[in-house]
Amino acid sequence: MQAKQRNIVGGSEWAVEASRLTKQFGDEIAVNELSFQVPKGTIFGFIGPSGSGKTTTIRLLTGIYSPTEGKVVVLGSPPNKFSPFMRGKIGYMPQLFVLYPDLSVWENLNFSASLYGQALFGRKKQLKSVLEFVELYPHRNKLVRNISGGMQRRLSLASTLVHRPELIFLDEPTGGIDPVLRRKIWDHFRELREHGRTLFVTTQYVGEAAYCDYVGVMANGRLLIVATPEELRRRAFGGDVIDLQTGEDISWNHIAQLQKLPFVRGRISLLPGRTYRLTVDNASTALPELIQWGQERNINVESTKEYIPPFDDVFVALVQNLGDENGSQGEKE
Amino acid sequence: MNSLLQSLIRTSSFFRKEIVEVIRQPRLILTLVLGPFLILLLFGIGYRNEPRAVRTLFVARQDSPLAQQVQEYAPNISPQLIFSGIVEDEAAALSELSQGDVDLVVVTPNQAYETIRNNQQAEFVLYHNEIDPAQIGYIEYLGQTYVNEVNRLVLSSIAQQGQSEATDVRQDIQAARENAAAMKQALSAGDAITARAQQAQMLQRISAVSLAVGASAGLLSGVQQNVGTEANPSPEQDMLSLLASMQSNPGNNQEIQVGKSEYSQEIREIEETEQKLAELEEKLAEFQSITPDVLVRPFRAISKSISPLQFTPSEFFTPGVIVLLLQHIAITTAALSIVRERRSGAIELFRVSPISSMETLLGKYVSYLIFCALIAGILVLLLAFGLRMPMLGSWVDFSAVLLAVLFASLGVGFLISLLADTESHAVQLSMIMLLLSVFFSGFMLDLRYLWQPVRVISWSLPVTYGTTLLQNIMLRGRGLDWILFGGLIAIGIFLFTISWLMLRRKMSHE
Repeated sequence: MQAKQRNIVGGSEWAVEASRLTKQFGDEIAVNELSFQVPKGTIFGFIGPSGSGKTTTIRLLTGIYSPTEGKVVVLGSPPNKFSPFMRGKIGYMPQLFVLYPDLSVWENLNFSASLYGQALFGRKKQLKSVLEFVELYPHRNKLVRNISGGMQRRLSLASTLVHRPELIFLDEPTGGIDPVLRRKIWDHFRELREHGRTLFVTTQYVGEAAYCDYVGVMANGRLLIVATPEELRRRAFGGDVIDLQTGEDISWNHIAQLQKLPFVRGRISLLPGRTYRLTVDNASTALPELIQWGQERNINVESTKEYIPPFDDVFVALVQNLGDENGSQGEKE
Repeated sequence: MNSLLQSLIRTSSFFRKEIVEVIRQPRLILTLVLGPFLILLLFGIGYRNEPRAVRTLFVARQDSPLAQQVQEYAPNISPQLIFSGIVEDEAAALSELSQGDVDLVVVTPNQAYETIRNNQQAEFVLYHNEIDPAQIGYIEYLGQTYVNEVNRLVLSSIAQQGQSEATDVRQDIQAARENAAAMKQALSAGDAITARAQQAQMLQRISAVSLAVGASAGLLSGVQQNVGTEANPSPEQDMLSLLASMQSNPGNNQEIQVGKSEYSQEIREIEETEQKLAELEEKLAEFQSITPDVLVRPFRAISKSISPLQFTPSEFFTPGVIVLLLQHIAITTAALSIVRERRSGAIELFRVSPISSMETLLGKYVSYLIFCALIAGILVLLLAFGLRMPMLGSWVDFSAVLLAVLFASLGVGFLISLLADTESHAVQLSMIMLLLSVFFSGFMLDLRYLWQPVRVISWSLPVTYGTTLLQNIMLRGRGLDWILFGGLIAIGIFLFTISWLMLRRKMSHE
């Protein structure tokens, strides 16, 4: 929560700072003027449909690509000028499984540890610890070609973590994985965050935004918005959403009065079961006022509760609302 | 110090990975080790270092003298000429040739004698159905051998006739000697009349001998004129000078006077003539003792190598096969290495990690060099103990050459790996390298058959250096040729540098 606050107020401890970051391949602009900051010790989710520029962004941040325009600073250095020491602070899990199918789980992990120059002394303990973290230790002797896709993703994650990186870039780590395992992987990410690591995660699953501290929404190479998950919901629907359920049907006149209340935004939707969905400035202050409004008019208010819309709906609403706006500059708080 | 240690750890990361990946494919190892061994074994068993036998059908008229000669001699001319018979119909013979029933049709000249009398060479026409230039050359060589044999038979027959005539000459000489003895006896008794009669007969016989010996001596003289002689004077000169001196002997030429009180001078001259006739007879006997075959073919070639050992074809090819196969193994394994990682995306991991392009390439070089050296070691052990591979030189030099070949070949492989877009592309490029090596390395064709500028390709290939160096070490027992060895190492360093620059480019940010 502290991290969130730090971001909102614009704290100085940034793991990533991107400013008008652009990458062009020939005539095609893959990423267009991205500007955002990732605070240290947080999970930053990068959400967007396939082809929206998420992988290009992660490649710009890891130094695989150089920006065509704009600039990026990761852990204080431009990625294309990273020293080996700086690279040792970064972990990268690519979108596809790129390890070696003819090696065992342990051998693959050992290879990754060697790539980062990890000393032989104490390495065994570290490999065991990481494999236990991703729950692959009992499978350590299996050849990778003989383990499931989910286990391969977890092995990729273990390979990314084996050198204890400060900043971890994960390109669609849950892609093609069943929901139970996805949940497990996000639990791992949260655990890593608790240990002070910063995670930059791209995903196509909009619902996964709920696990993040900050979420950037990408569409067509543009960053539409960067916000906390709660803010995203508010931005998508213009405020908090409240479901008001009454004991009997209320008249159109009452509905019109309800809409005219100062804290109510937009139109009121009528749902089955005498439920009225309305958007308010602030759910916590609006809820008692709505109860009072019902009592004053002898309307039997059976329940009032804040509705948390699924992020799929949030995403669709955001893309509709912000898609036509130019860039994401100014969207951040 | 810490960063150096980390660099060493990063470089060595590939060693275990590459080795383990290959070890997990036992069939691949079996193929890599046993494949080359079996190829050499089968080649050794299967290759026959004998010229091909050619089924030959002759075309000759039945009444032609050559038909009889062919019937008599053709079956024994050469083991490579399988006599398939004589026919009169040339078209039928050519039909058999086109159907593959025979390999060669030899059409004998119809009127050979008349043609030769007209100062022209009579022609044997050879028909074959070969398309392989090498086989055409062989057939032409075989035809030429046959014609040479016919020519030899004719000359031999002439020589034999000359020797047979020499027998008559010897009889004349003996008769002349008898005349001389009778002359001497008559003169000792003072019977000049009888002596004169004997003198006339002797002179007549010496003249006849002179004519006959002239022909026989011509044969030897022809040889002498062409090749020179160490004897001084030569045998045929001896004979001719003896005859000339006999003919110019005043005792022989002057008519014996009747009524002289004593004939001691004439008797000495006759004794001298007797002695010369004996000498002449002796020399003719020598001439007759030379077989006609030696007279018409006075020379034959015997080749002797100063090399301490003579090798079978499979032994000769062993160095080339070892180098060619090791080059191919090294190129193929290296060619697939980086392209596979580029395709899978693993190279992206390397780009993000602290490992540098130099550490990556060095790690791969070392691991593949060790792996290929192990394969080479097992292969050489199998060849040494299984096929008794010849080795006249030093094993240290041999090992140094193999390592240098592997180093340079890995460079070719890594270069392919960085140029190819896909694994199949890499395999295709490796196969092209194999073809280049087979045709241009001197493995199949001697380099001297190649046009000089084309040899640049040959000397760009590690296998060319490796084969030449190993042949010198294994088959000639020579030491390391430092110029060739240096060339091989230079190629390896050049390829390493190019590969490193290309990998660095691919691993740098895009």
